[in-house]
Amino acid sequence: MRYTEFTQFDLWLLAQGLGVTIGLFLVTSLIGAFVGVLWGVVRFYRVPVLTQLVTFVSEILKNSPVLVQLFLVFFGFPAFFHVNVTPVTAAIITLSANTAAFVYVIVVSSIESIGRDQVEAARVFGLSRWQVLRHVIAPQALAFSIGPLTALLVNQLQVTSLISVIGVMDLSKIGATLNLRTLKPFIVWTAVGILYYLSAKLVATIGAKLERRLRAHSAFRGL
Amino acid sequence: MGERVKLDLTILAPHLGFLAQGALLTAEVCALALCGSVILGMFVAIARTSQVKALNWLAFVYVDLFRNIPFIVQLFFFYYGLPEIGIYIDAYTTGVVALSISGGAYASDAIRAGILAIDNGIIEAAEVSGLNKRVTFTRIVLPIALRTSIRPLGSVLINMILTSSILSTITLNELTGNARIVASDTFRPFEVYVVLLVAYAALTYLVSLGITLLHRWLNRDMQEQVS
Repeated sequence: MRYTEFTQFDLWLLAQGLGVTIGLFLVTSLIGAFVGVLWGVVRFYRVPVLTQLVTFVSEILKNSPVLVQLFLVFFGFPAFFHVNVTPVTAAIITLSANTAAFVYVIVVSSIESIGRDQVEAARVFGLSRWQVLRHVIAPQALAFSIGPLTALLVNQLQVTSLISVIGVMDLSKIGATLNLRTLKPFIVWTAVGILYYLSAKLVATIGAKLERRLRAHSAFRGL
Repeated sequence: MGERVKLDLTILAPHLGFLAQGALLTAEVCALALCGSVILGMFVAIARTSQVKALNWLAFVYVDLFRNIPFIVQLFFFYYGLPEIGIYIDAYTTGVVALSISGGAYASDAIRAGILAIDNGIIEAAEVSGLNKRVTFTRIVLPIALRTSIRPLGSVLINMILTSSILSTITLNELTGNARIVASDTFRPFEVYVVLLVAYAALTYLVSLGITLLHRWLNRDMQEQVS
């Protein structure tokens, strides 16, 4: 027997898919942000070989399709390293690495946005390189980078839809399943699209709020 | 099990022609979609900078929607949805259409920024010279906006090349689609996808070099403004 009509359980399915999408988005964004900042610190300290390696890896990750990266991890790793890779693991590895590559670029440019004179002044006062990074650069760089970071996260939220291709039961995969069962593509994909759209708007709104807060110190106060 | 961790790329040699075919199809689709999205983007940019409120709003909604919904969802919407309303087109055409529409949203932003960046003095000079609104727009504003937005349009193209890999999910055998076939034929997915990764990176790098040169050449008379 085949249910071609929509049932109320389909809403539950969609909610589940949305949960998987948002959960993976949050996890990979956190890991990606951490790794990306780490790479940025490596560059800040100008660690000899590592800096070049990190720059190269981030360039490759930024300039190749996420789908191919996903296939490399999901199909390539098990064949080459003889390890077991589940769809969810592959999704987490790929999306985190991809986010890290873009976060790295944002970190580098926001560190560079801070005048050299500030760093020199802090060094003259006897602060160590770490103290300069922690107390002079980081707070300003964070306020500077929150805008580009929000744009990146909105983009990465959409990129998560690609993991449906390797079988992770995210929102897109649920959409594909419902589409196959009900054969009503307009309704299904519109509903899925709306859910993605609303999530993206939510991320953008939170980002804008944060930015306003972090930049409050430099905003015009009125006379 | 004996040959662990040995990267042997020579096994790909017999499949290079097949992969090149895929790359050609990718280039073809992207070229068509670039034309489509620049034309679409131009009209949308005009709508977004126009004084007519309704037009303005419509253009904004289009850009906002297509920038905030994943491409794969848009693609499936067209691929599965269009036959539903009696439009039967193949994967190739669907891919070009979907890429054009989604790229158009990004292109319109680039062109709009180019239009907004035009010095008011230029428009005033055109008005004083007695040119009407339409001529001012098509002969003065658009050419300047298009050539100053070559670089952002280039990033749209690069994004499009990367996004076109998603077309392999609707059975279009472009570069990624053919690579998937090679990977399952040779049982060497790692080698295939590593090569593919590097190939895409090299391709987009070359494209970005070309765009920088084109941008510099087209704007050679206003070097200091656009650098």
